[in-house]
Amino acid sequence: MFPEVTLTAPTREDIRRMADWLDDPDVSAVWYGVGDDGKPLHTGYAPEAVLAGGSDDWGRAFNDANRVIFSVYSRDGEHIGEGQLTVEWPLLEARADLLIGRKDLWHHHYGTSALIGLLDHAFGPQGLHRVWVDVPEYNEPGLQMVRQVGFVVEGHLRKTHPKNNEWFDSSVLGLLSEEYPRRRARLMETAVT
Amino acid sequence: MPVITINGPIGCGAVTIGQMVAEQMHLNFVDRLFFTEAARIVGTPVGSLIAKEQRVDRFRDRLGRFVQTMLERSAMSGVSGEPYFGRGIENLPPETYMDLTGEGGVAQKVDDKVFIEAMTKVANDLHEKGDAVIIGRGANQILAGSSHTLHVGLLAPIEVRVQTLVDREHFEREEAEIHVAELERAREDFIQKFWNVHPNEARHYHMMLNMGKMNPKTAAEVICHAAGDLAS
Repeated sequence: MFPEVTLTAPTREDIRRMADWLDDPDVSAVWYGVGDDGKPLHTGYAPEAVLAGGSDDWGRAFNDANRVIFSVYSRDGEHIGEGQLTVEWPLLEARADLLIGRKDLWHHHYGTSALIGLLDHAFGPQGLHRVWVDVPEYNEPGLQMVRQVGFVVEGHLRKTHPKNNEWFDSSVLGLLSEEYPRRRARLMETAVT
Repeated sequence: MPVITINGPIGCGAVTIGQMVAEQMHLNFVDRLFFTEAARIVGTPVGSLIAKEQRVDRFRDRLGRFVQTMLERSAMSGVSGEPYFGRGIENLPPETYMDLTGEGGVAQKVDDKVFIEAMTKVANDLHEKGDAVIIGRGANQILAGSSHTLHVGLLAPIEVRVQTLVDREHFEREEAEIHVAELERAREDFIQKFWNVHPNEARHYHMMLNMGKMNPKTAAEVICHAAGDLAS
């Protein structure tokens, strides 16, 4: 069985924890690395800037129709990570980003559960047609996870991801709304057995 | 700067072989990404473009959609009694009738000319950048006369292709047989419609490989060897 998680709107405390997690080199190493200023990079918003800013900054980050950001909580009510859907409405598609910030929970399928939650939201209430992910080659566990969920490799592009003054390959994997129900069902079957 | 196109019916292993070739030769690998790029140019969901290539409009599907819509409409308009042919029928939206005749649906919303222009742009952009393996999508036709390009065709007996789907997609055998047959018909229709040729004709390729008699690793090595000639 996959662990139970819930996706909720982020709180300021959640964003503070995100900032702390990203400060951990082990976490930023599998995420977007660090910028020229040595600070960890994030996607969609900069946690420190949002925390230092006012309600307008908060609104821009978390009330954006083109970007849905969720905090991921475990069954025990602990904040463990963050998921995002960056939507392109004319194409009815979204890029999914997911980070389990709690290192002690890596490789325990929390990412899989959270990704299923994101996909359920994307193909359910959001009514999207395609969700895609862009996984750099240095994130092999992430690549394995999305393939297990049912994403298919749509392309593999060379030297597209800069990180720490190096360029890395990445794989673009996609999942279509009509593909999802069958693959979700199969994934759940494997989880039971 | 080689560009390699690999074409074959579903279940031939084009994706597996393409990934192997791309890895061995350090090339970009482009499969469905071709369509997502074209969709971006057109500004439409990628499904509209995929449907152009894979659309199989079976009568039973159309009938099923028709009946389902009628039932929903009847329920919505509170019609009692005969559910199939009650008064709800006049409330059917016009696109449902178009669907029934195969003239409607999301695929039809993208004009053929717009579609082929977008596909051509994606193929030409990839060719210009070079160093790519492209899977299907008529890329061998679009790039037929392009330099430094190797066009590879794949074939395999239907039993092999069905088995691939059973293993890869966990289809039941009968379901896989139907899927293979339908997608092959759709592929032939797609290539025939836009380029007026049959996709399995050897003259459109530098070489054709029978995947019923060759494993993917060997096929990838043969392709890499042939592509090496392009560079020399």
